Amino acid sequence: MGKYTIQVYTERCTGCLRCELACSDLYTKTFNPSKARIQVTATGLDCMIRFTGECNYCGVCVDHCFYDALQKEEKVAVNE
Amino acid sequence: MNRGGFAGKVLYVDLTDEEIKQEPLDFSLCEKFIGGLGLTVKLAYDNIEPGNDALSPENPIVLGAGPFVGTNLPATSRVYAVTKLPSSGTIGWCGGGGMNFGCMLKNAGFDHVIIKGRAQKPVFLQIFDDDVQILDAESLWGKGVEETTEALWQEFGRPAGVIAIGRAGENKVVFSMAYIDRLSTLGRGGFGAVMGSKNLKAVIVKGSQGIEVADRKRYRALNKDFLQTIREYPYLKEWQELGMFKSFPMASELYDPIKKRRIACVSCPIGDKDVVEIPDGEYKGLVKCTTSATNLFTPLIHGLSDYRESIKCVTILDEYGLDKFEFFGLMGFVKNLGDQGIISKDQLESEVDSGSIQSIETWAGKISNREGLGDIMADGFNGILKHFGEGAVPYAPPLVRGMLPYAGPGGSISWNLFGTMELGQVLDPRGPHVGSGGSPTYFAKRPLEVFPRHLRRMGVPEETIARILPRLDSPDQEQILNVGRLLKYSHRWFTILGSMGICARAQINRFYNAALCADLYEAVTGIETDLEKLRKRVDRVWTLLRMDFIKNGKYQGRVWQKRRRLT
Ligand code: SF4
Ligand code: SF4
Ligand code: SF4
Repeated sequence: MGKYTIQVYTERCTGCLRCELACSDLYTKTFNPSKARIQVTATGLDCMIRFTGECNYCGVCVDHCFYDALQKEEKVAVNE
Repeated sequence: MNRGGFAGKVLYVDLTDEEIKQEPLDFSLCEKFIGGLGLTVKLAYDNIEPGNDALSPENPIVLGAGPFVGTNLPATSRVYAVTKLPSSGTIGWCGGGGMNFGCMLKNAGFDHVIIKGRAQKPVFLQIFDDDVQILDAESLWGKGVEETTEALWQEFGRPAGVIAIGRAGENKVVFSMAYIDRLSTLGRGGFGAVMGSKNLKAVIVKGSQGIEVADRKRYRALNKDFLQTIREYPYLKEWQELGMFKSFPMASELYDPIKKRRIACVSCPIGDKDVVEIPDGEYKGLVKCTTSATNLFTPLIHGLSDYRESIKCVTILDEYGLDKFEFFGLMGFVKNLGDQGIISKDQLESEVDSGSIQSIETWAGKISNREGLGDIMADGFNGILKHFGEGAVPYAPPLVRGMLPYAGPGGSISWNLFGTMELGQVLDPRGPHVGSGGSPTYFAKRPLEVFPRHLRRMGVPEETIARILPRLDSPDQEQILNVGRLLKYSHRWFTILGSMGICARAQINRFYNAALCADLYEAVTGIETDLEKLRKRVDRVWTLLRMDFIKNGKYQGRVWQKRRRLT
C-alpha cells in the first residue's frame, strides 16, 4: 500500500476532475478520466468521491486538487 | 515526434439521411489553423454554403474542442460552435466553458463534429466512443434545459457532457441559446434555434480513449512551473470562493445566504460556476446551477426588487433557453409600444412588466411557445419592427444588428466602459456576443498603467504597444488608449486561447502568455511552433473568419439603430 491516507471533503469539490486527470496520466500515460483510480461524481448539490480497488494511495491526485477537497497524511509506521 | 493533443477524428452526422461517418482529422489543417476555434472556423468555411438560411437543414453546426482540451493544463475545457445564426443571418462563432463536454468529446475520439440536415422527428445525438447513434427524443421534447440534461444523465450516467436546448430553441426563437451541462450558455443570436430547426434536442458525449501529449517530459516541466505560479497567486482563494463577486462590494450580503457549492469546468483550478439554493420565502429550496452567481442578479437591474424572484426569473429563462439580455430588452420595447398605443390592449393580452415575476413568467412562456404576441416577440427586435412598421422604430432601444448591445446607451453595462468588447460587437457582423472583441477583459476605465504588462503577455510587439498607448512616454499628460488598435490584438489573443482550448475568463487568461502558449502547444501537439508561427496561424484564422462573413454576405439589421428624439 502507498504512503498516505487520504481524507475527502466532498463539500469543497468542484467536479473539476483534475484528480482523475493526474491519476490517469501517472498510471496510463494518457489523460483519461475513465481509467483514473479516483472517481468523482459531482451532481449539483451532492458530490461523491470514491477510490477504486486499484488505488495505491500514492497521493498524486491530492497534489493536483486546487480546492482542498482531498488531503493526505503520511501513514505512521507502528512498531509492533 | 509523436502527435499529441488531438483526438484524431471528425464526426459527420446527417440528420436527414440518418448517416453517420467518421473521418481522420487532416493534420495538415492543424498545422495551419491550430485547432479548436481555428479549425472550427476552417471547417465552417468549408461546410457552410452561401445563400442557405440559418434555419434550413443545409446549415451545418460545426462543433470543436482544441488540442489542450482533455489535458490537465489549467482551465482547458473550451468548446466552440460555428454555424449561421438566425438573428443576424451571418456566421456566429459561439464559445462556452466546456464543463465535461469538451473533455468527453475528445475522449470519445473526436476533435470536431459536423451536424447537418433535419431529423423527421425530435432526436438526440449520442456519442459514446465509436457508438454514435441518432436516438428518439420524443420524451425530452418540451422539457427545459436542466430537465433534459438531468434526464440524460439519469439514463446514461456521469461523467458525460450534454449540450441541450429548451422550449425556445425547439420553437426557433431567434434569441434562444443552447446550454452545456445545463449551465454554460452557447450561442447568443439563436444557436438554440439552429438546433431546434434540426429537431435536435441534445447531444450527449462520453469517452474512454484518453488524450496523449507529444512530448511528455517537456509538458510536465512546463505544466509543473505553471501550476506552481497559480498556487502562489495571492488572490487564488478569493477568486475560488467569490469569483466575479470579488469585485462587488455587496458580495457577502447577496452571495453568502445562497451559496452551496462552486463548480468548475474540467481541469479548471479557479472554477467560477455555482450551485445556489434559495434559503427562504416563496421559492425556498429552489436549487439553481449557474454559469456565474452574479448572473442571477441581473434581473434586479431590469426591475425586479427581490433577489429570490431574481433567481427564480433566471431559472425560468434558462429552462426555456432564452437569452435574458434580449428578453428584457424586448419586454421594455413592447411595454413602450403598448404605452404609445402602437400595440393595442387586446393585442397585449397580459401586462408586460419586467418588475413582476408573474409577468416575466407569462411572457417567457408565450415567447418560447410562440403564443399570440409572443410569436412576434420570438422573432426578436427585427420581428417586432417588421410587424409594427416604421411607427415602432423611435421606441426601440439602441440596437446593434437587431440585438441589444451589452454596453451602450440603454444596454445592461454602463456606456462609459467602452472597450474592445463594445467596439467588437459593432464591427462583428454577428453583433453583440460575449466573445466580441476578444472577451470583456479590456475595458476602458481600467488604469492604463496595467495595460503594457497585459499587452506583452498577449504577445503584442513593443512598437505596437507604443501605438496602442501613444502617450505612455509622457506620464504628465492624460493617457489615452487606442481601442481600435487594441482590438486587433485582443482578437488575436482570444483566437490563441480559443484555438488551443483555454478559457478566456480574466482570472484564467491572466496566467497564460503567448510565448507560453506556443511552448505548450509544441509540447502537447508536436507541431513546431514559436511566437511568430503562432501569430501567422492566428491571423490566418481571423482572416478566414472574415472571409466567411464576406462569403455568406448579407446580414440583417443596421449596425447601430439610432433612437429618434421623441416629440
Ligand atoms: S492516490 Fe494515487 S492511485 Fe490513488 S487515485 Fe490518487 S493518484 Fe490514483
Ligand atoms: S477532488 Fe479536487 S481535483 Fe478532484 S474533482 Fe474534486 S475538486 Fe477537482
Ligand atoms: S473560469 Fe469558469 S468558465 Fe473558465 S474554465 Fe474555469 S469554471 Fe470554466
